[in-house]
Amino acid sequence: MTVAPWICRSCLSRISRPLIRQRLRYQSTAACKVSTSESISPALLARARSIAREHKGLADKLANGFDARSAKKLGEHGGVVSTLKEWEKANESLRELTSLIHDPTTDPELLSLASEDLATTRTQLADASQSLTTSLVPVHPFAHLPCLIELRPGAGGSEAAIFAGDLLRMYQAFCNRNNFRATLLKYENADGTTEAGVPLSEAILEVESGGAYGLFRCEAGVHRVQRVPATETKGRTHTSAVSVLVLPSVQENSLGEEDFEDPESDYYIDPKEVRVDVMRARGAGGQHVNTTESAVRLTHMPTNTVVAIQDARSQPKNKEKAWRLLRSRLAQARREKREEEMAAIRRSVVGVAKMGRGDKVRTYNWGQQRVTDHRSGTTVHDLDDVMEGGQTLDKVMESVRSWLMERDVEAMIAEETDAKK
Amino acid sequence: MPRISNALIRHARSIDKLLPPLLRPCRELRAAQNELRWLREHAAKVASTRNAKVRDTLLRNLVLERAKGKPLQYLLGSEYFGDLQITCRPGVLIPRQETAASVAYLARLVRQAEELPPELRVLDLCTGTGCIPLLFHDELAATRKDVRSRYLGIDISRDAVHLAHYNLQKVWRQKAYADKSVTAFVQADVLIDPFDDQNAGMPCFKAALNHYRQPPFWDILISNPPYISPSGYWSTTTRSVRLFEPELALLPPPNPDASDTERGDVFYPRLLSIAQHVEAKVVLLEVADLDQAHRVARLAQDADFFDGIEVWRDWPDQPNDAEPVELDGFPVIGQGNGRYVLCWRAQGAPWLGKDVVAKAETEPLSHYSLQPTFIYRPPSKIPL
Repeated sequence: MTVAPWICRSCLSRISRPLIRQRLRYQSTAACKVSTSESISPALLARARSIAREHKGLADKLANGFDARSAKKLGEHGGVVSTLKEWEKANESLRELTSLIHDPTTDPELLSLASEDLATTRTQLADASQSLTTSLVPVHPFAHLPCLIELRPGAGGSEAAIFAGDLLRMYQAFCNRNNFRATLLKYENADGTTEAGVPLSEAILEVESGGAYGLFRCEAGVHRVQRVPATETKGRTHTSAVSVLVLPSVQENSLGEEDFEDPESDYYIDPKEVRVDVMRARGAGGQHVNTTESAVRLTHMPTNTVVAIQDARSQPKNKEKAWRLLRSRLAQARREKREEEMAAIRRSVVGVAKMGRGDKVRTYNWGQQRVTDHRSGTTVHDLDDVMEGGQTLDKVMESVRSWLMERDVEAMIAEETDAKK
Repeated sequence: MPRISNALIRHARSIDKLLPPLLRPCRELRAAQNELRWLREHAAKVASTRNAKVRDTLLRNLVLERAKGKPLQYLLGSEYFGDLQITCRPGVLIPRQETAASVAYLARLVRQAEELPPELRVLDLCTGTGCIPLLFHDELAATRKDVRSRYLGIDISRDAVHLAHYNLQKVWRQKAYADKSVTAFVQADVLIDPFDDQNAGMPCFKAALNHYRQPPFWDILISNPPYISPSGYWSTTTRSVRLFEPELALLPPPNPDASDTERGDVFYPRLLSIAQHVEAKVVLLEVADLDQAHRVARLAQDADFFDGIEVWRDWPDQPNDAEPVELDGFPVIGQGNGRYVLCWRAQGAPWLGKDVVAKAETEPLSHYSLQPTFIYRPPSKIPL
């Protein structure tokens, strides 16, 4: 009879676990999961194909007559279509190569050539699917706009205020290095003056270059700092937080009334979307009646906005007036919608409860000289360069942008599968 | 016509005591309110220096005249034709909105053409107030500074020619055009054949061209001739038109041999032959309805002179939303009643943005005579 020797319980449980535990930051694994492989999600591919079809239709349409809106769309879709073509080409050659390799009748010399080619084609395919994914990601509607960066100290008292000042200098240095025009719209100290160097209570930095919002969008959130503050006497490490708000800055003058030919403008209306009704004479018309009806009614079909004007005896004058009124009404509606969207952005970025140390997006740790972004899971160790707005900051921001893009792609795929159901 | 309900009349009186008489010609409260507003503005303008009592009397008189059916355009003395304010006087037909829509549409087509002759000549037969040449010029001059244009309006009525001259001066003064276009209005009878005996008092169209030293060849011919048949005159025209507008401008002259529809169509064969005489490249003729449009289009086709024929409805700039989209092979465009017949020859096709269709006719050899023929084809541009 063999008696099993006594084994301690913790050793027993040790057996079931792998000897070397993988050290992973689970929060940060998303970065290496998506779109590094050469495969591409079927939903995304279907979307790319439908875009290519639409593109073809638009090109045919534009061959017959110019239309500002379709021309704009065509330009937006051009990138997707060309990358899809590239991807399909790479896919095709990969399939041919694999069939060649698996075919037993292939000549050995050809086989060695094919297997050589296989590796390059694989990388080509991976590149193509990567760029296809990138080109399919919807561009943020405000990405082309300049932006406002608002910094406010959160939890952590005066140390948070000092760190807010550090962050402000970091962004200013970053703009300087990249030749962005940045102006300080507002700078307020903890003691209510505008004297620099003192802990700040609020600062608003405007980056006036186009596309700044797309660049700085990834910075919004709570930035956490872990260091021994200058105000600390006993050498303890404190953890404080600064909230950073990034908002698109919409210039009112760029959307003036005079440029209603520009599709970007609030005042732009596609004439094809408007139904014009003129009051017709009853009966035979022409010489048979002399009507004084001059009323004009415009209906903007997408929004169902109706404008009717009958003041003047001249029909063209009424029509002109009706168009003006319709333009300003639609512009008003659009402006309100945009303001609502801005308010939504503001709310989503900074809920009042979300100002704490827990909901951080990035940590600056002085003790370890490291900066970790918790969304993309990137860690860099050149803290000084980051605080000087150097290239290390570029690296971090870049990683967050690609993380955001992946979120967007996932959301889009989910949306599309939802739409299919 | 249904009676106006007492409730509506009471309601109108509660708004303004001058409204009920206006309901008689207008039939609708909203239209009556508009007309009252315009009449009131007119009275205030005319009697601006007088006291309120004079103004009220004037307004009441205007309203009473309007109630009898007198067209508002005659009372106010003007009508808007496209962008232009055209003076109207009793005895001359009031310009119609549908005419303005089609003429403006044609002018907009023409002004988009890449190549136009250095002098574009537009002939308007039965011009009335002269509104058609004036609007055509207004639309053309708005974008095309490079094209000089010449306009000639012809009417049988002396009053009409006078009024057209008056309108010409008024519009040119108002708009202060800077281009070197020439517009003239002359009196002539379009219906007289230049090859008949010339014993009527009125000169024929050809004689008038010669007498007023006008060029013999014209690029565009537009006409809004009298086109209502006698039966249509009594059934489809409104009372205000019958009682107050000149019969001369509505009904073609009596002809004992012709049937009812034939009398309505009297002008068109003459207009088409004049179009051939003056070598018109584009011809636009107003008609009463789709049936007449069909007859005129057929007539134009039989003339074997045009390369394309199209029928326009009241509002040719709107998409066609009703049947038919094609009338016996002629495309129908626009919304409303059939209103215009457009014919063009190969030279005029690019002005309208149409493709030049080559005539695929192969005449049998037997049609050709072996005798030498001498056809004088005058050059299309004669130096003046």
